[in-house]
Amino acid sequence: MADYKNVDELTYKEATTELELIIRALESGDMELETSLEKYARGVELLKSLRTRLADAEQKVSVLLKDVDGTDRLVEGTPADDSDTLNL
Amino acid sequence: MAGWDLTGSSSSASGAEKAEALTVSQAAEMAAGALNTIPRITVLGEVTGFRGPNARSGHCYFQIKDESSALDCIVWRGVYDKRLFDLRDGLQVLFTGTFDLYKPTGKMSFKASSFTLAGEGLLRQQVAQLAEKLRLEGLMEPERKRHIPAFCMRVAVVTSLSGSVINDVKRTLRRRNPLVELVCVGSKVQGQGAPAELIEGLRRAASVVPAPDCILLVRGGGSFEDLMTFNDEALARAVAASPIPVVTGIGHEPDNSICDMVSDRRCSTPTAAAESVAPEFSELVAALDQREQRLQNVMVSQVGNAASDTDAASERIRRAMRTYLDRLQLVVDNASTRPCLTDPTNIIDRRRIELSQTLDRFVAACDRVQERYAADLDRLAPRLLSSTSSFAARRHALDLASSGLRGAAAQLLTEPQSTLARDAAALDALSPLKVLARGYSIAYDGDNRVVTQVSSFTPGDELRVRMADGDVFGTVTSVSTHA
Repeated sequence: MADYKNVDELTYKEATTELELIIRALESGDMELETSLEKYARGVELLKSLRTRLADAEQKVSVLLKDVDGTDRLVEGTPADDSDTLNL
Repeated sequence: MAGWDLTGSSSSASGAEKAEALTVSQAAEMAAGALNTIPRITVLGEVTGFRGPNARSGHCYFQIKDESSALDCIVWRGVYDKRLFDLRDGLQVLFTGTFDLYKPTGKMSFKASSFTLAGEGLLRQQVAQLAEKLRLEGLMEPERKRHIPAFCMRVAVVTSLSGSVINDVKRTLRRRNPLVELVCVGSKVQGQGAPAELIEGLRRAASVVPAPDCILLVRGGGSFEDLMTFNDEALARAVAASPIPVVTGIGHEPDNSICDMVSDRRCSTPTAAAESVAPEFSELVAALDQREQRLQNVMVSQVGNAASDTDAASERIRRAMRTYLDRLQLVVDNASTRPCLTDPTNIIDRRRIELSQTLDRFVAACDRVQERYAADLDRLAPRLLSSTSSFAARRHALDLASSGLRGAAAQLLTEPQSTLARDAAALDALSPLKVLARGYSIAYDGDNRVVTQVSSFTPGDELRVRMADGDVFGTVTSVSTHA
């Protein structure tokens, strides 16, 4: 197996991009069957991870606060509440 | 009017009224005079009923009003031609001029000799001028606007953290795409110091690590004055110069600030801005479904292709092998019908026959050659014999010539021998050695030269004397000459 990054370490976008590249490479059709199968396995792994992420997605909010010494610090913030009405 | 008393008032009173009564013209004149005493003033009012300059005269007739009053207003053509902006209804304008009474109608008007925008109108004009300035600098060129990723994973929001806007943004993105990570950067969005805080907020947002994909600069709806913060020149320049692309969503739909104009993407509201930075969740799901389908399709077709390739290859190799074997079979079959294999002794027999024929020819040829040499020999023998018959006579002639030659040679030598003996005796008599033998000698000097005169010597010279049987060496002691 080629040197692949751990799927969980990829961002959603990186994983999507890699998946798209794998599909394109496979679609180009000039690949050894072994490589194809290896890529396919990687693609399935990426797909699974992406689906899980979509299913488990939770909003992440942080707030940039000024510390006492004046430097900025990221603090975890509260995500939006569950109500679906928008106060426009 | 005389004699009528319709009101029942006294005639004296009526007489007094009569005496004090003025004509309309007089009254109008009086009013006009009173109006003329009012100095040049400046009036702030909202333009209303403005229908543009009069088609014929070019003068403008309209009203200016506030909450409770209205005034007719005239702007002469000459004044209106020098205007900096077009008058229209609703504008708050400062008119400077004087009152005037138009006597034929008795209408009082305010004649403006100059007018300038006031309040919001003035602000709007200043904003328009700033916008024009920045546009001329190229800050609004479409090619300056940076690309904002279709799916921003990390988004910084610069706005007030206490208002409802930040919650709207959060909720919009939570509903639309919870994968988007939000970094909230608080700032005042209106009032004194707001532009400076927003500029600082943009700077802080841009220096967050890891860097956000874009910055949302948002603010909810408000009055024109409230939104003036976003028409600040320094803030507009900070938006244009931000190292991270900026998406603006300021106020409501018709509001358009200078920040909107110089940003990389302008959205009409904070919610619209939030929606523009990431695709709908369902789109992601659809995209993922599509990718899964493509992955399956391509793999099925790849494996299918590989299988059919393998089948085709196996069929080809089978056929190729068959053909090859058939050809070999043919070669073997052909070989097996060759005479060398079907009748091997045949070759030997044929060779044997050829050999015996050759032998017969050889023997016959030998016999013929032998016979020819024998015949030649028989013919040559008598010729040889006959060729020796003259040999005896020639030998006798040779013997005779040989003895004659010997006698002639002896005779040829006798005469020269006697001459030679005579000459030798004479030569011997003349030899100096013979003279030496008779008692003479030869003198030589040191240089081996023969000396014939005594004057050649001086005492002390080397001297050699040759005699018949040898030499005498000596030194000259004295020299004397014979007289």
